[in-house]
Amino acid sequence: ETPEQLSGRSAPWFQSQDPEGSEGLGVWSRTSVQQREQCPDVPVGSLDEKVTLLVQFLLHKYQMKEPITEADMLDVVIKEYKDDIPEILKRASEHMELVFGVDVKEVDPTSHSYALVNKLGLTYDARLSGDEGMPKTSLLLIILGVIFMKGNRATEEEIWEVLNMMDLHSGKEHFMFGEPRKFITKDLVQQKYLEYCQVPDGDPPCYEFLWGPRAHAETNKMKLLEFLSKIHESDPRCFPSQYQEALRDEAERQLLPPLFSLNGSVGWLVEPNLAQNILIIGM
Amino acid sequence: MHSSTRKAAAIMTDVHRRFLQLLMTHGVLEEWEIKRLQKHCYKVHDCNATVEKLEDFINNINSVLESLYIEIKKGVTEDDGRPIYALVNLATTPISKMATDFAENELDLFRKALDLIMDSETGFASSTNILNLVDQLKGKKMRKKEAEQVLQKFAQNKWLIEKEGEFTLHGRAILEMEQYIRETYPDSVKICNICHSLLIQGQSCETCGIRMHLPCVAKYFKSNSEPRCPHCNDYWPHEIPEVFDPEKEREAGISKSNRRSLRSRQH
Repeated sequence: ETPEQLSGRSAPWFQSQDPEGSEGLGVWSRTSVQQREQCPDVPVGSLDEKVTLLVQFLLHKYQMKEPITEADMLDVVIKEYKDDIPEILKRASEHMELVFGVDVKEVDPTSHSYALVNKLGLTYDARLSGDEGMPKTSLLLIILGVIFMKGNRATEEEIWEVLNMMDLHSGKEHFMFGEPRKFITKDLVQQKYLEYCQVPDGDPPCYEFLWGPRAHAETNKMKLLEFLSKIHESDPRCFPSQYQEALRDEAERQLLPPLFSLNGSVGWLVEPNLAQNILIIGM
Repeated sequence: MHSSTRKAAAIMTDVHRRFLQLLMTHGVLEEWEIKRLQKHCYKVHDCNATVEKLEDFINNINSVLESLYIEIKKGVTEDDGRPIYALVNLATTPISKMATDFAENELDLFRKALDLIMDSETGFASSTNILNLVDQLKGKKMRKKEAEQVLQKFAQNKWLIEKEGEFTLHGRAILEMEQYIRETYPDSVKICNICHSLLIQGQSCETCGIRMHLPCVAKYFKSNSEPRCPHCNDYWPHEIPEVFDPEKEREAGISKSNRRSLRSRQH
């Protein structure tokens, strides 16, 4: 079939004509799955169909920033195909990698749960807002940078010191980032780039930020140090203890391909003297 | 390797993958934005290569996406004829796309708004009428004040357009949901007499009732001093809009951004 013919109709599988369905507007409800079985057009039960279903489900989960379990996959692919799951998953993963640059990584072998990780690196992973958009990615980079410079954990106060210098204040809606506190304590945490935890024995209770698992997966300390040094117009070796740590981190990761590309994100990031202040504070 | 993955391996590079990821992230992009996006992807992953013509670039990607029932679809905004692009999933109920950003009761509010829009003669539903349905929403109870903000969120995310207190569908929603709308509202669906696509807002002949999109009117009656209905030949009574000109847009955009960057430097 030509793309024109395909686009003129939707695949019969998910014609959830049930606006009162218990799952509301959810696609992956039992109703739609049952309806699909009755559809004559699609060769129901073909492995190809299952692979396509799983790819679409993985894409949806990727955009939701949620992990997936084998149970989820069974739900999508239907229990009769339980034995075929490894093959279906393998082919679906191939598609995810080849077409979308997304890795399907097993994170917990005991519970068979998988994370969907962007293979292509951090740039532009967040939404652009505004015409010349300073992507939220660059703000994330700064925060990761401060955390790293501060010995891999930074208190909320230390982070705000830096953000305030960039005219980002808690509770004050910024025309590019929205409300910054929500962005850093909720959005970035939900996306697994940051961890936001209570400092043990803090009195009064206070919180600190650490790199989240996704930050660890998508970038590394050396790249971040290079980025920070660049905006400081110096060299990673000017920060000896961090440089040593970054070297050790690189050795541990061994032959990881470059996950992180800077592509001019420095240019419209911050003005030079501001960047220097960030680094001084970060140390 | 399976045949479809072999095809993907032959065509897809990191340039294409980055492009797809970013298009997914943004949801919908105008033509100038998608051209800039394409250039960005080349710059990041293959800076020495010549940037392929956008149409060919997209067709290549679509040939790979075909077997997955996904497509980069091109459409046109109903109010001013701007070309827009979105990554459309042809197999799923499209409102699931919105599920990434909205809660159950918010999605239900959207469905209610869509009901009213489809029922209306003009393609617009008044804010008041939508808000009056707040008690019927599924999920967590929502107050009218909250619902007002949710409607604004829909507008910001380009699912709805607001005009003088009334709401209609954004080009993005039409791109993503055309099939779903045709199937869900078979009796109230309106079609453009020129392009035969779904019509939400447009102009109609007062004699025979046929409808046309504003950009379709602009093209059809371009340089025509005596516009007449293509169906019944009666005089066309409405103002004929201008055909969208990307060059004029670009110039306007450049002067606008110059003004904005001046402002930010004055902090």
